[in-house]
Amino acid sequence: MHIMEGFLPTPWWQLWFAISIPVIMFGIYKLNKMVEYKREILPLLAVAGAFIFVLSSLKLPSVTGSCSHPTGTGLGAILFGPAVTAVLSTIVLLYQAIFLAHGGLTTLGANVFAMGIIGPLVGYAIYKAGMKFNFNAYAVVFLAATFADWATYVATASQLSLAFPAETGGILGSFKAFAGIFAVTQVPLAIMEGAVTTLIFKYIVQLKSEALIKLNAISKEGVRKLKGVTA
Amino acid sequence: MTTLLDDYALISPLRNRNNWLKLIIVAFGLLVGVSSTSPVTPLFIALSMSIATVFLGKTPLKLYLKILTAPLGFAFAGAVVIFFFFGSGSEILSFNIFGYPFIANSEGINMATLVVSRTFSGMCCLFFLAFTTPMVELFAVLKKTRLPESFIELSMLIYRYIFVFLDVAMSIKYAQTIRLGYKDVKSSIYSFSMLVSTLFLQSWEQGEKLYLAMDSRCYNGKMMMFDAKRPVELSEIITASLYFIFILTIFYFTKNISVV
Repeated sequence: MHIMEGFLPTPWWQLWFAISIPVIMFGIYKLNKMVEYKREILPLLAVAGAFIFVLSSLKLPSVTGSCSHPTGTGLGAILFGPAVTAVLSTIVLLYQAIFLAHGGLTTLGANVFAMGIIGPLVGYAIYKAGMKFNFNAYAVVFLAATFADWATYVATASQLSLAFPAETGGILGSFKAFAGIFAVTQVPLAIMEGAVTTLIFKYIVQLKSEALIKLNAISKEGVRKLKGVTA
Repeated sequence: MTTLLDDYALISPLRNRNNWLKLIIVAFGLLVGVSSTSPVTPLFIALSMSIATVFLGKTPLKLYLKILTAPLGFAFAGAVVIFFFFGSGSEILSFNIFGYPFIANSEGINMATLVVSRTFSGMCCLFFLAFTTPMVELFAVLKKTRLPESFIELSMLIYRYIFVFLDVAMSIKYAQTIRLGYKDVKSSIYSFSMLVSTLFLQSWEQGEKLYLAMDSRCYNGKMMMFDAKRPVELSEIITASLYFIFILTIFYFTKNISVV
């Protein structure tokens, strides 16, 4: 779900850069603090970034037959928090633009805003809220990943409709049109991504739960509960 | 195996040209393309960039065309919306589908063609960069900019690990496929989740090993890069400037041209 190079006209692509850059700066600031505090985190973050890139270059079997790929930002936000995910997504989007011509350089700001900021924020908020109220962790992960995907897609549709308002109905009218077109692939895809993320989460809990505890993504009690062990 | 454009960039003859020159040409193409007001300039940039990529960069034509057609789908999906909903002006085309009116007017059609041509030219510029400049070269450029050190370090490490994981992911996927892991939607979801979680765990372990390996070799947060000196030749500057002037002239004279 990236906006292609050159798709956004002049005032808009600069605007999204102006909005995204402070967030990325904040993410880098956070990153620097983390690295200072725990130096072993940098290689870990690096593999996480590479992981997001590889994830998005693997094609997910999609119901509609279109080959769409998971964004992986929901998982990233759950594991590393939204600020760091924003930095990771920026790097990944940059590589996608340069390697695969997925997205673009002038639209990088807009794409970072949709995929690296809004999506992870929504996913993270849902995950944290759900875990606080002690809902079933798998259901929470599913919702977080699905809504992170949808949030990304709504954000992209809004960006496009702001840039190209419809003649009748204005911004809202073209938003309906853009959202309608993307909904065909994005609605089932987000549910798929939610299911896949939940399964991934489950495997990680089973095989290497200490990794999740180390990242502060889940508490020890939470893991014990999920594993069904009563100590 | 996924073909990364970087593989081709490494063997491209244009690799040995000055990185800044290539970057300036690409940035120029992107900016002129995105600010153009008629589809003529972007299409011309697209054409010249494609010629440069295929003939000067020695990129296989078939591969280039195949890769070029792939991302256009999104551009067209978006353009359809603009086509029917954007702008005002005289009605050109209108019909009803299930009672919903679809009206295309002149402004919408112009905008849609303009946007598609801008996207097309932008993609050709990006592909030029992708097919002629390996990432390793770009890191040397990045190091010279004032971007935060940790950001660049992180990008370099990510770049290194993309290849490691792609390899792992591809071999796992291959192994799963020959065991009928992707025979229907349900098993595909399971196989895919297994693949990704294994990948995550492997990456985690790799990350820990990498930290140990780098730490024991006195890594202090700064990797040194070899920056090959490739001075810009006078002839290159002249050619590039002529190209810029030519594009700007086209830009100026075609600024009011539109399709309808």
